[in-house]
Amino acid sequence: MKLAKMAPSLALLFSLSLIAQQDFAGAAEKNPQSVQVTIRTILAENKNDEFDAKLKGMEQQLKSLKYRSYRSLKDDTKSVPWQGTQSFDIPGGRTLTVMPQEFQDNRISLKVRLTQGDKPVVDTTVKIANKGNFILGGPPHDGGTLVLSISAAAQ
Amino acid sequence: MTNCENIRDSIGRWLDGELPPSESAAVQAHVATCAECAEARRQLESLQRALTGVLVADPAPIEFMPFWREVQRRINLKRAWYEDISEWAREFFTAPRVAWSVPVAIVLLLAVFSLDSYFPGNPFGGSRNSFASVESIDAYGRSVALLRENESKTTVIWLYQNEEGEDETGEDGAKSGPTF
Repeated sequence: MKLAKMAPSLALLFSLSLIAQQDFAGAAEKNPQSVQVTIRTILAENKNDEFDAKLKGMEQQLKSLKYRSYRSLKDDTKSVPWQGTQSFDIPGGRTLTVMPQEFQDNRISLKVRLTQGDKPVVDTTVKIANKGNFILGGPPHDGGTLVLSISAAAQ
Repeated sequence: MTNCENIRDSIGRWLDGELPPSESAAVQAHVATCAECAEARRQLESLQRALTGVLVADPAPIEFMPFWREVQRRINLKRAWYEDISEWAREFFTAPRVAWSVPVAIVLLLAVFSLDSYFPGNPFGGSRNSFASVESIDAYGRSVALLRENESKTTVIWLYQNEEGEDETGEDGAKSGPTF
């Protein structure tokens, strides 16, 4: 009976502790040490209607490209310090270099460079939501087209 | 103790008829001859008469019928709508309910605001812009298309290959153009 009377106060205390915890977590998120960058390399083709089961979570995003088939070629995840540089090997002798610039308002600014051999293909700076992604596509490969999903999560 | 004092102590019981006959006769005989004891008897008798008058007085009859009629009238009375609302509000906002509703509201708000950090891209994530914004792009002479797909909140940077096909000789996948 005593516990029942105290329950509202306990619930209120619990809620206040949740708020404090949220603030603490938020403070930790404001000063992330590094960025976990994941590059997912996908081959888009029009040869058949196969959709790689590994790409299930990206189905809606890939649908906007209107290819008939999508096949995951490789997934690569690396931790990159702020202002640091990390390179990812992309099929076809290409290299994707990622440089996290800043973290502001839960968004990560990434400088991304795609090169083929020594030749630069594209150089871009993109601001994405923390744990979000964007797609870089177009380079031809193996009779199809390469689609790169570049995602980043502050750590 | 004098004889008069003994008699005055017994006068009350004598008047109430509680004395045995022999004592009763002695008290009666003394009161008849002693003026002070006779006065005590007279005071006791007048007090007894006053008390009897009060105790046996008839109380005024109480009219219960109007009372029950009023009770019946109030039971049958149809309450106004605002009285129902005020009663509901009074019950709803009593202290224990309010004490519960505050933490429940806080927990719900926290859940809504935290949802986007745990499940980015969820449909209840609020107004936070999840589109990627392209701040700069240099494709070194190639054509570039920028696509924003609303349904999946996806930003796509699409590279068109030049006519010379410098990237991968003999591959015609890109020459067919974009397939948005």
